[in-house]
Amino acid sequence: MIPEILAGLSAVLDWQVLAFLVAGVCMGAVFGSLPGLTATMGVAILTPLTFWVSAEQGLAMLLGIYCGAIPAGGIPAILINVPGTPASIATSWDGYALTRKGQAGLALGINALASAAGQLTSIVFLAFLAFPIASFALQFGPAEYFGLALLGISLMAGVSGKHVLKGMLAGMLGLALALVGLDPMTAYPRYTFGMSEFLDGISFVPVMIGLFGLGEVLVQISERHTASGVQAATIGRILPKAAEYKSMIGSTFGGATVGTMVGAIPAAGGDIGSVIAWEQARRAAPDKAEFGKGSLRGLAASCSGCNAAIGGAMTTMLTLGIPGDAVSAVLIGALLIHGIQPGPLLFANNQSFVFSIVFLLIFASVLIMAIGILCAKPLAKILKVPAPWLWGGIVLFGTVGAYALNHAVVDLWAMYAAGVAGFLFRKARIPLGPLVLGLILGPMMESNLRRALILSRGDWTSMLTRPILLVFLTATLLALLWPLIRRAFGSSASNHRPSLDA
Amino acid sequence: MNSTDWISGGLFLAIGIGLIASGSAFPAGVGGLPGAGFFPQAIGAVMAMLACALVVTRRKKDASDSIQMGNARQVAGAAGLLFVYLLLWGQGLFILRTAVFLILTLRFLGQRWWPATACSAALTAFAYLAFDTALNVSLD
Repeated sequence: MIPEILAGLSAVLDWQVLAFLVAGVCMGAVFGSLPGLTATMGVAILTPLTFWVSAEQGLAMLLGIYCGAIPAGGIPAILINVPGTPASIATSWDGYALTRKGQAGLALGINALASAAGQLTSIVFLAFLAFPIASFALQFGPAEYFGLALLGISLMAGVSGKHVLKGMLAGMLGLALALVGLDPMTAYPRYTFGMSEFLDGISFVPVMIGLFGLGEVLVQISERHTASGVQAATIGRILPKAAEYKSMIGSTFGGATVGTMVGAIPAAGGDIGSVIAWEQARRAAPDKAEFGKGSLRGLAASCSGCNAAIGGAMTTMLTLGIPGDAVSAVLIGALLIHGIQPGPLLFANNQSFVFSIVFLLIFASVLIMAIGILCAKPLAKILKVPAPWLWGGIVLFGTVGAYALNHAVVDLWAMYAAGVAGFLFRKARIPLGPLVLGLILGPMMESNLRRALILSRGDWTSMLTRPILLVFLTATLLALLWPLIRRAFGSSASNHRPSLDA
Repeated sequence: MNSTDWISGGLFLAIGIGLIASGSAFPAGVGGLPGAGFFPQAIGAVMAMLACALVVTRRKKDASDSIQMGNARQVAGAAGLLFVYLLLWGQGLFILRTAVFLILTLRFLGQRWWPATACSAALTAFAYLAFDTALNVSLD
């Protein structure tokens, strides 16, 4: 094993490989920080550039983009409440609240540190626990995926603050929007109104940009207070104090563990991982009321959760050849182009290459942490820009980003409608997070429930004999009943539920 | 009962009923297996129940929970300008129509001519260079 580890390390320590890694991290940071551009898009667009270089060099660049884009997605989420990637939705909940308190620097610093901690933790998992995790994920059938989606949906209650019913209704609306397009099982068109543009359904990236970007701009215009506002005139310090580090350790590594496990499950990426990590940290925290209002623990958990999904996804991809998320699906294609077949045989025949990947991920994590901390102050200066300029920039880049995804005008109108809806929902104190969660999880929930029923020949009760599904269903029930249980036991915290209205 | 709960509850109830009604028009499924209409109806039913629960459980008058629209005229103006900009998407040069849209929007939001023009030019140029030139996203 030691010779393979050393061989993997020496392959990575080549200056050209490191140069490709740095370039990849920088490009990933650009892709992640521009709303509408995702890590998947970055890896897909830049994969052809790697055709003319060695596998290590090409993979260094692509992994750099992957590792750079996810933490960078937290930057606009923190500064202007517009998640740069879907994985950063939960980051905006506490990150933007900190910015409004004048602690943008600290939020960016925690984003960099917790992201690196999450990535590094998940890489340790990759190095030591790759086979057990992948084997566990392999036991997932349609019924278990349905249970996972159901658990994700049930977390709506947790992320809706004191407006639990409104949050669940928003989640249902998200599920309803996910119905648009072809029925996943029979390809029967639903709610397409005869328009071919709707056959593929509604993309959640334009909806996300509209809800969180345009909607936020309209709210700020209506209240005529600025994104930089009085409260955010100071950027503040970047690095947390010793006591703050100590308070965040549990949530950071708890979030990293959750994110890794979720990332290891095929098709469940950082977007789900960060929400679950945030919610688990909230349940475990002594200061639940602070969550959604600028909690350092909440921010650390969401940042580490979404980044830890990288290691989890890579574990499943490398050991089983199954993509853990959309980016790793594109990465599999890139590896195949370079003549590398991910799967169990890769561990048997080319262990040094696996360790090269592990070291590349470690270097990328350290690099993105350094870039995140060094660039936090210059990035936070965006808050000193006059508010109308910032609004113009958000609207323009949101619009172009929504269009760039599919080159489809219908996405622009989806963004516009979501923006107006986001404005009205905020005014009506309807939480927006559950809506996006419903839109993301809807197709996964429906298709897997129906597949499971086909496999069980329409017998609902036989699904309940599956232990993993039972665990998910129990957790779902607990998540939904938790507010009632807490009220029944007279918890003082019940009167201080976190709110994510804004 | 406060206004946000009335409006939200009514709106979601209407959507829920609409989903149930429209879902019944889709294939119901065969042999005990749900068809394309199952999920819309299930979501519609849950949504209608939750909407009723929202309306029923919020009986106390709470002035702080009423809808505050704020500066509605400026919101309508900004949203209207963006609507026109999207209507004109694909017409003429991206740089020209975007710069005009941004100048008008910034002027509408109270910026002076010179800063509005400079900011619009810079944002438009950056967006064009980043997306059209660097990423090959055709914006014209």
